[in-house]
Amino acid sequence: MKRSLLVLLVAVLFTTAAFAGGKKNYGKELTVKETTKISDIIAAPEKFNGKRVKVAGPIVDVCKTRGCWVKLGSDKEFEAIRFKVEDGVIVFPLDLKGQNAVAEGIVSVKKISVEEQIKSGKKMAEEHGTAFDESTVKGPKTILQIDGEGAQVETK
Amino acid sequence: MKKFSWRRLNIVLHRDIGYLTVAMLIIYGVSGIAVNHIQDWNPNFVREKQFKEIEPITATERDSVKAEAMRGLGLTEEPKNFFRPDPETAQLFYENLTYSVDLPTGNVLIETTQRRMVLFEMNQLHLNAPKGLWTFIADLFALSLIFMGISGMFIQKGKTGLMGRGKWFVLIGTVIPVGYWIWYQYLQ
Repeated sequence: MKRSLLVLLVAVLFTTAAFAGGKKNYGKELTVKETTKISDIIAAPEKFNGKRVKVAGPIVDVCKTRGCWVKLGSDKEFEAIRFKVEDGVIVFPLDLKGQNAVAEGIVSVKKISVEEQIKSGKKMAEEHGTAFDESTVKGPKTILQIDGEGAQVETK
Repeated sequence: MKKFSWRRLNIVLHRDIGYLTVAMLIIYGVSGIAVNHIQDWNPNFVREKQFKEIEPITATERDSVKAEAMRGLGLTEEPKNFFRPDPETAQLFYENLTYSVDLPTGNVLIETTQRRMVLFEMNQLHLNAPKGLWTFIADLFALSLIFMGISGMFIQKGKTGLMGRGKWFVLIGTVIPVGYWIWYQYLQ
């Protein structure tokens, strides 16, 4: 009886693993019905700033250290948008690269001054034990990203 | 009738909760070591890079670039996704495999990503990636650890008990984290 139960448990675990696939959810459930084109957001970031959007696209890059962001390819060539989540709240595995995703979050447009770029560059360099060259900062920068809350990723 | 004994109950609970949590302890312990060294290695994935050279790609239109790249790389299977981050680069995504082609030179970076079997799953559980019900299970496990720590002090009596040499071990075990933090925060 005990042995049968153990065999059954192992079989259930393996079967579940074998048939796992389809879609995997990360973070909160998606609530926005309409999908916004990534190219529309990139074309007019200010129009979407602070708005909740649902976007779809292939995952073309994943944060290698903490899995705290993915880059979603746009519907237009040469464009992608960063979907950033709070560290540890959602962790995107590295092997999601290349999978299709639907993601929801708030569009954020931030203007970063030269001083802020130097400060954060130095901090990052310190954390990674590397050097930071201030001359690489050419001027104020605008950062467009989606502050992510939830995503659904096609798996396998 | 046997007389009720708090110490006996404590020993039984300590023992049985120990049995119940041994798998979790191993998972959290192994994963703890693995993620402690995250600066030096990737505890979840084995990543490998290879380089290859193909004929430079002259096409500019998306489908032609993809077709030329696939031909150059000797690929017959359609990629899961195809992306061009800029006019000079094309990326072909397959399962755990990415080809990044520099179109003008034909230099190709081939990146493979493989999950570290078992360790990946351990890390996901340790870092509470699943959230939901796992948060509750992990909280129960944490409470069990607190119980195990406290109940462990009251298993033995006499010379080896808490009032004997046990108190010195408890003191050393407390001084290590507290002392380290004081040194780290104020003295170094």
